[in-house]
Amino acid sequence: MRLYLSAAAVSLLGLADAIYLTVEHVTGQSVRCTIIAGCSEVLSSPYAVVAGVPLALIGAAAYFGVFSLSTLAAFGYRIAGTLLTPLVLLMFLFSLWLIYLQAFVIHAFCQFCLFSAAITTALTVIVLIGVIFARKPR
Amino acid sequence: MKRTLPFIIILAVLGVALGSAWYMTRSASQPTAPAASTTSGVANNQAQPAPLKGVPGAEPPYTLGSPNAPAHLEEFGDYQCPPCGMFHPILQQMHKEFGDKLQITFREFPLTPAHQHALAAASAAEAAGLQGRFWEMHDLIYEHQNDWKDKFDVRPIFEGYAKDIGLDVERYKRDIGSEVVAQRIFLDGKRGHSLGVKGTPTVFLNGREVPFEALPADSLRVLIQREINNAGNR
Repeated sequence: MRLYLSAAAVSLLGLADAIYLTVEHVTGQSVRCTIIAGCSEVLSSPYAVVAGVPLALIGAAAYFGVFSLSTLAAFGYRIAGTLLTPLVLLMFLFSLWLIYLQAFVIHAFCQFCLFSAAITTALTVIVLIGVIFARKPR
Repeated sequence: MKRTLPFIIILAVLGVALGSAWYMTRSASQPTAPAASTTSGVANNQAQPAPLKGVPGAEPPYTLGSPNAPAHLEEFGDYQCPPCGMFHPILQQMHKEFGDKLQITFREFPLTPAHQHALAAASAAEAAGLQGRFWEMHDLIYEHQNDWKDKFDVRPIFEGYAKDIGLDVERYKRDIGSEVVAQRIFLDGKRGHSLGVKGTPTVFLNGREVPFEALPADSLRVLIQREINNAGNR
């Protein structure tokens, strides 16, 4: 219960970050160079769009999914808790790929993207703790 | 009640998320509204915000075109910023097309923590300016942006440009670290901050910010022509 609530709270931070990045992307502010290093390079790269959809928007949807599932799970919907783990693990793997792209392909880091990766890592830790503790008592 | 509460919470969060996204999109695109209407061919002078003044930048500024031009364009640029590099040929083309009807001013706005060579590039252009060759250096630095931006040490490259445009290289080397050059860059930056410049390229046309999406040649041309027409009607 507590783990689900903390996952819900953490996912809200991720949601806010992803919404900010989506707005930056859509309004074209990101294309300009700013003091915040790297975001313009990263958001204007071809990797920032998947099939015409800004990656940040997909991220926002994913965080909203995590929030919904963990809220439902906290209120006792078991199936939501079961779905949460694969979603978060998928997001974690995706974040690793994005960090790889920033480090070795685009050669620029965007702080807001790194923040998102940190949030996803925190969610992964929470979910894994949940998995380990769920097994122990039995 | 307990069964529906999580759904109410989820819907509330969705509402807040969509609402804040809508609000942020709106406030980000607000300055673009008047110019967007002009690019579609509708002249709507009432909707224009008042021109911004700001504090003065480095004096005298480096300009192209006539000081009596009806349209005055001021760019805040960073030599290492890729979109500024892409904007450079557009501005050259505008200068060619409009000639004396358009005055172009370039202001230094190096984004130092983000771009490690931006300050060195700005200093190189300003040092060339002290020998009356600002625009020649400016053009070379922008045109060769991809050749130097990933290099470890850019000084020999810029010195090469200095030699190419016929500068007194020894004087250039002294000037590049001089107080005059540093002060000019500082003053341009100060002016930029007073005008609310946060990124580059930021372009003002007769004191009004041109939205980033209106910087391609086709839309910029329309905006400049409109300023010239407006001045003719007055």
